[in-house]
Amino acid sequence: MQPPEATTTTGYQSALAAYCRSGRYTAIPGVHKGHVTHYRRLVYNVVDDMLQSAYPLTYHLLTAKEWKQMVQDFFSSHACQSPQVWYMPRELHEYLVKTQHPLLEKYPFLSELLWLEWLEVELFMMEDKPAAFTAFGDIQADAFVLNPEHHLQHFHYPVHLKQAKQISAEDKGDYFLVLFRKPDNGEVAFMQLSPVLVTLLELLEERPQAMHPLVEQACATWQLPLNDAIREAAGAFFAQALENRLILGYDTKSHIL
Amino acid sequence: MVGIGFRKDFAAALLESPFFHPAFIEVAPENWIGVGGYWKKLFRQALEQYPLFTHGLSLSVGSPDELDLVFLGKVKDFLRETNAQIYSEHLSYSKCDNAHLYDLLPIPFTQEAVKHVSRRIRQVQDFLERRIAIEIVSYYTPVAPEMTEIAFINAVLQEADCDLLLDVNNVYVNGFNHQYNAKAFIDQLPMERVRYIHMAGHEKVAEDLIIDTHGEAIIDPVYDLFAYTVQRLDRDVPVLLERDFNIPELEALQQEIDRLQAIKNLHLKNHQYATA
Repeated sequence: MQPPEATTTTGYQSALAAYCRSGRYTAIPGVHKGHVTHYRRLVYNVVDDMLQSAYPLTYHLLTAKEWKQMVQDFFSSHACQSPQVWYMPRELHEYLVKTQHPLLEKYPFLSELLWLEWLEVELFMMEDKPAAFTAFGDIQADAFVLNPEHHLQHFHYPVHLKQAKQISAEDKGDYFLVLFRKPDNGEVAFMQLSPVLVTLLELLEERPQAMHPLVEQACATWQLPLNDAIREAAGAFFAQALENRLILGYDTKSHIL
Repeated sequence: MVGIGFRKDFAAALLESPFFHPAFIEVAPENWIGVGGYWKKLFRQALEQYPLFTHGLSLSVGSPDELDLVFLGKVKDFLRETNAQIYSEHLSYSKCDNAHLYDLLPIPFTQEAVKHVSRRIRQVQDFLERRIAIEIVSYYTPVAPEMTEIAFINAVLQEADCDLLLDVNNVYVNGFNHQYNAKAFIDQLPMERVRYIHMAGHEKVAEDLIIDTHGEAIIDPVYDLFAYTVQRLDRDVPVLLERDFNIPELEALQQEIDRLQAIKNLHLKNHQYATA
């Protein structure tokens, strides 16, 4: 059923906005019917372009028809809240999960794929989080400072490891990773983690700590024997994390002490 | 002075170019608020080299919805932190029924809208503790008009007591789309309120319609209208070259900047105002 024709200034504005979001036109006095279509086209293109830019892997995964229907569902049904257009794509993920969109059933990993893509955008764009550290220290003895511009993530599908079109039900499992922004060039990188390494990083999130106490706590948490093999693996992980700047450096206070 | 819209597409090239020298840069605050990392570094470098003018997109002063004061607070902080010289916004709406649309929709030219928009512009100016410049937008259809476009704009400027951002290309586009004389339209504007000028290219998509794309070079008739505007102003007003899509080589943008500056110099050469 068509909504009633608007009769007030705010009603006319609402009718034009509703048309731009839905594509369904209700007569508005004085409007040039041939030209008003450009508003719908321009508004839709802004949203579509921004979503394609934020979610290139999802855009590649879905058929053209599925993508178009998803964008149309989202923009016509969801009231976008962010005044910053670059932040709007986050609302697509929230919308699909909240409405349990049929695409999530067809692609069980889609929610995680979208979330991975959004995390990359958000980490790349987000406000700087300063941290005090020194580049000079002893990897064996000094407390590490974790890059605060990171996000720990647990996925059930390997959306960060495999091409989306190749992910199947057999891939379902537990996948842990940390995404982080490199301080030198601002690029977002990720490292795949074991559950024990997740614990190590969660402990480091609390405060700067040195390698040995960290490993002891993590082993205790997971009831693992603290042996040379584990110490060696932890040493290799921290060396790599220092090199790729997941760990920025060493705590200035512990280093002085 | 003639500036350029600071686009991410050519931000790095702009900062490194030995021959590209706009007098200032302009950004939309909403594209930079809360942004860190790579872009913030680049933006900081740009602020060290250029004065900043700002041009908002999402405030939606013409919206029936309430003003977003949380967002406006962030804009205020941004303007202070960046030492922005001008904050301008559009005489349009981009949010309605609690939903952002991310593009500029035309306000109905009605008395009710004049009162509503004017009150909101005053509210924004009070909140920001500064005058703002409002831009005449291009539009492709009137919406339930009760008065002419010029009557609507002048009534808003009068009641809101704000400055005017005169987008010369928009006046050209609107004159073409709605069959009026662009020079006669400019003659009716309160030129003493013009604080800032925008210039851009556009695309003719039909025999009777031009879309304001910012994706093409400025065409000669718009340069002519610009020259006419500068003569009518008879004072030096900052001018911005907008280029948002189909970005050419920086040499081409510099040529457009040079041509705009030359027009200003020509028409203001005997004037007491120095031109940058």
